[in-house]
Amino acid sequence: MGARPPTLREKRRYILVSVEPSGEIIDRKDLYFAVCDATTSLWGDVTAAVISPAVIASDGQYVIIRCRRGSERELSIALSTITCCRDRSIALRIIAASGTIDTLRERIQGLKIPDNVTVSAPEYMIGEKLYRVHNCSGQKVDVIEKGFKNTNRLFLTREDLEEL
Amino acid sequence: MKITDACIYPYPCGNSSVRRMALEARSLGFDRLVAPDTTPGQFHGIEVLNGIIIRDTMVKDLITRVRRERDGKAVVSVQAGDNGFNRAAIGVKGVHILRGIQSADKTAFDHVAARMAADNQVAVDIDLSPLITGRGVTRQRAIHRYRDILVLERRFEFPITLSSYARSVLEMRAVREISGICSLIGMDTPDVERAFTGIDTITASPDPAVRVV
Repeated sequence: MGARPPTLREKRRYILVSVEPSGEIIDRKDLYFAVCDATTSLWGDVTAAVISPAVIASDGQYVIIRCRRGSERELSIALSTITCCRDRSIALRIIAASGTIDTLRERIQGLKIPDNVTVSAPEYMIGEKLYRVHNCSGQKVDVIEKGFKNTNRLFLTREDLEEL
Repeated sequence: MKITDACIYPYPCGNSSVRRMALEARSLGFDRLVAPDTTPGQFHGIEVLNGIIIRDTMVKDLITRVRRERDGKAVVSVQAGDNGFNRAAIGVKGVHILRGIQSADKTAFDHVAARMAADNQVAVDIDLSPLITGRGVTRQRAIHRYRDILVLERRFEFPITLSSYARSVLEMRAVREISGICSLIGMDTPDVERAFTGIDTITASPDPAVRVV
């Protein structure tokens, strides 16, 4: 099907979301399947077809998701039911919605803050297990259990690490 | 009136420290959290209340346990059981919240229990986790039960609380997202606002039966 003239095209809306935990690289295709699965599971095939979600762009932890205009509410509720993407626990935090991708790209530039990665010790003993610092942003510190299999991730703050 | 998540599970039950959950709650728009078996306090501007959840117990033991906790400032919750147990639990002075109504028997919470909850200012908790993480029949059942409870709530006006039961910061949801999720069970914005401040209603000291003039 050829491109339609602008007046006949479907009106779209774009939703900017932040993928938590920060520091995780999420494949756009995997995220698209997670979004489609959540939308279909919550609203059914018919409404999912009307919403027609698509992952348009990603920049670090920020992702732009497209939907049909008027279905932003349905999509945002569906996005809040996403808990995992390819067996990795994630959460999508909705930041903004816009009619153009450019506006959201500008918004992303404003949101980007340099990470402060000054931690006194790289490894910590928590409950007889050794954890290493994985990600550090502001007050937030994520640590991952050292090892090869079944490594747990803990979400802490700098104060928690100081108390250890 | 503080916007409250009526149940979260910080470390060691979950994988996030209470401070981290408070930090996340602040950015998500909450003012207060209730965390079972946690030292109460103020973390990053968020008030964290201690919660006590009593489950799998007989009514006699429940009364003893609640009496022991009555002097403290903990939010006392009881896991719902059958209809008789629920009515008895609602009648116990010091019980604040009846939890897990979606997994209890279909007849566990009827109009009599609803009227008692309204009279005794005992809240019925709405667990958001089956709506967020559940899929298929699990979610459908939860939606059906919550809609049923909300019919009784509109008739008898007993308090409602909202709980995410988050064990991780990744399971916490923003106030706006929860409003959207609650719209699935027929709650409009005033209903959600009232439910978010349900903890204020149940922990407020009751009006005295006799007032000295």
